[in-house]
Amino acid sequence: MLLTIKKHSSYSIIEAPERVDTLLAIDFEMALLDAGTHEDSNMVIDCSKLVYLSSSGLRVFLLVQKKMLAKGVKLRLCHLRPSIQELFDISGFSTIFPIFADLKTAITEIVNSDDLLL
Amino acid sequence: MEKEENIKSLKLQNKLEELETISVFLEELAEIWDIPLALTMSLNLVLEEAFTNVVNYAYTDQDLHSIGIDFEKTGNILSIKIIDDGKAYDPTQNADPDVTLSAEERSIGGLGIFLIRKMMDEVTYQRADNKNILMMTKKLTFGS
Repeated sequence: MLLTIKKHSSYSIIEAPERVDTLLAIDFEMALLDAGTHEDSNMVIDCSKLVYLSSSGLRVFLLVQKKMLAKGVKLRLCHLRPSIQELFDISGFSTIFPIFADLKTAITEIVNSDDLLL
Repeated sequence: MEKEENIKSLKLQNKLEELETISVFLEELAEIWDIPLALTMSLNLVLEEAFTNVVNYAYTDQDLHSIGIDFEKTGNILSIKIIDDGKAYDPTQNADPDVTLSAEERSIGGLGIFLIRKMMDEVTYQRADNKNILMMTKKLTFGS
């Protein structure tokens, strides 16, 4: 799976694909881990294109969040479509992930909270 | 309309690649029965979870098995039946995951059946003729 990744000094932005189902979940997991978790960099997953997600996909999100938390780096999600937001709400994942309306607010939050640490 | 037009069936093999067959079939069904897109996506999710569970956990051998999915529309009620000849398993007896736990505490997995129950109006299970029959209904709402 080829994911669009934009690397910045204190964070990277990764674009989630349209579908993450049982067949694509492993690929998505590999691509995410490859992209973000090798380096200790904060990550924003832009979900604006994501229209279909199954429990295998939710599992990948949780797995990546666990790794990021263990490393002490931030994972932020943004731009969830209503049906995906509903799925996150039902699963209790809305409280596991900080979710932002758009990319800009997600990045602002990451940059600002980093400043506070300095 | 003829009564048969309200019943559609799908025969699948116990292979995960059949998930694509399910998606394509659902898209066609949505067009014929005028099922809204958001609901079609939910049904796709429900079928993926149920079908994946059967393929991954129902069989103790390496043989090919047939899994049937029947769809029936009666008025504005859609009924779906998934029939497999795997070992007896009643997913309606599954304990719900605790959705209030933190990321560190949450276990990976166990969400599939929970999502089925949340997305559908009714989910019931029967064991008959050495087969698992999972029956689900969903009210079709139009105009949104």
